[in-house]
Amino acid sequence: MTATMTEGGTLVVSPAATTAGFGAVLRAEWLKLRTVRSTWWTVLATFVLGAGLTVLMCWGNADWLASPEADESPGSFITWGMMIAQITAVVLGALVVTTEYATGMIRSSFAAVPARGRVLAAKSLVLVTVLFVVGTVTALVGYLGGNYFLDQEGIGMALEGDVLRSMYGSGLYLAGIGLFTVAVGFLLRHTAGTISVVLALMLILGNMVNLVPGTFGEWLTKLMPGNAGSVVSTPVSFNPDLLDAWTGFAVFGAETAVLLAAAYVVLRRRDA
Amino acid sequence: MIRAHALTKRFATEKGQSRVAVDGVDFVVEPGRVTGFLGPNGAGKSTTMRMILGLDAPTSGTVSVNGHRYAAAPAPLREIGALLDAHAIHPGRSARDHLRWMAASNGIPTTRVGEVLELVGLESVAGQRAGRYSLGMGQRLGIAAAMLGDPPVVVLDEPVNGLDPEGIRWVRTFARQLADEGRTVFISSHLMSEMALMADHLLVIGRGSILADCSMSDFMADHAASYVRVKAPALVDVAHLLSGRGLDVTRVDDELRVSGLDAPAVGELAFRHGLMLHELTLVRSSLEDAFMALTADSVEYHAATEGALR
Repeated sequence: MTATMTEGGTLVVSPAATTAGFGAVLRAEWLKLRTVRSTWWTVLATFVLGAGLTVLMCWGNADWLASPEADESPGSFITWGMMIAQITAVVLGALVVTTEYATGMIRSSFAAVPARGRVLAAKSLVLVTVLFVVGTVTALVGYLGGNYFLDQEGIGMALEGDVLRSMYGSGLYLAGIGLFTVAVGFLLRHTAGTISVVLALMLILGNMVNLVPGTFGEWLTKLMPGNAGSVVSTPVSFNPDLLDAWTGFAVFGAETAVLLAAAYVVLRRRDA
Repeated sequence: MIRAHALTKRFATEKGQSRVAVDGVDFVVEPGRVTGFLGPNGAGKSTTMRMILGLDAPTSGTVSVNGHRYAAAPAPLREIGALLDAHAIHPGRSARDHLRWMAASNGIPTTRVGEVLELVGLESVAGQRAGRYSLGMGQRLGIAAAMLGDPPVVVLDEPVNGLDPEGIRWVRTFARQLADEGRTVFISSHLMSEMALMADHLLVIGRGSILADCSMSDFMADHAASYVRVKAPALVDVAHLLSGRGLDVTRVDDELRVSGLDAPAVGELAFRHGLMLHELTLVRSSLEDAFMALTADSVEYHAATEGALR
């Protein structure tokens, strides 16, 4: 503590500059995330859709998958719900950034932590951790429920190898897609815009590039972020032409890193 | 202490040109007094305050808080507390949670949250979602957030907006108390009457330039025009007499407005020439009038009727 006497004779005590490090910013972002209801609704939706739809799809398709006319692998169904759960991960990624812009909260955030890169990093880290845990747990519950029905038809899968990888792979994919959306959110600063752009890129454009002819089209399809990143979240991909799990995830990671870097540059320059 | 040097902010306009919001201003906001930051809407008050807090980057020039750039502070909330916008709060988060994350971000103990809630009188509603707050409660929460780090410098942008008379009075007393404790208090407002009651020192800004930087009393003496109102049965004779002495006399309806001489002198003069007076009053314009006169040229948006009357 430092004390200064002013001309008027009043004593002013100003706390000695205590450095608030990155840990403090992390704690603040964690508090922010868990103190709004939208977070819990989105997490609940991720779980219900992700695990529920997997169980539902396995229940509905188990006898067909076990029959000789099946042309898909049960491995494509055991994390089926994650294809839909990725939408709620996008919503959560957008909300943690864009509601701050919509409400003006971002000014409080940057006044409290002027090093904007730290805010970006802390927000990202907190969200990635939450989505990884939620994604992995969701996939595991979906597996337990879905595999029960597959087992009854004699096509159950053990929790090992690619199946095990698809469990934490689901966590990784949701975390990645959340991070991707955070970057887009900082670039666009608008909730509806961010969600639309990311979902269009992942779900619509990702399928439409199939129509581009030739090798160019094939590669474009492989490299689209949703296509490259999602393979890690399933033991057997519905689309056999995509990159393999870890190569795809590395491509997706690189794309996310580029967007985050762009967001960081813009964030530093732009007035809040 | 806040120190601005040649502080300038230009914004790009839609037509590809640039508009100067703050034009090379120099000022120092001293501790131990309430400094009022006065200017019409659009004069550059909020932009200046945002630059102080590092939210907007100056186009050129510098501004420092306690001798260094705001962004260089390791725990900025302990150096400067700001109420920039009562809406800079997530409507779905409770007041207590809002203050908790802010405290956490700057390593301020959580016990301080309860203290500032009590300070602004929001303890009983601290668990409610901030979106349900009235404008006045939002302002109080903003002030609580500003005081969280017990900062030596407090910046309040339009703190009395939306407050009821009791709240306005509370802010006034609170600002005074902070200044008496030796803190630097910088308050913006476009309400002149409020400033007259609150500020010791005035910084007047118009169209991005500092128009006045002086004590409240100096400002009144320099800019609040005064004249002597004279009413008399023989108004023309009195007017003749006074203007013959080189005084500035204007007739408005049934009265004369005389400047350049004080009321007793005008009365004596009339008496010596045998002229009877019915009224002799010193009229001093309010801070509001003084402000209007000073910023008349720099008001961004005139009402249409006002323009038509000119």
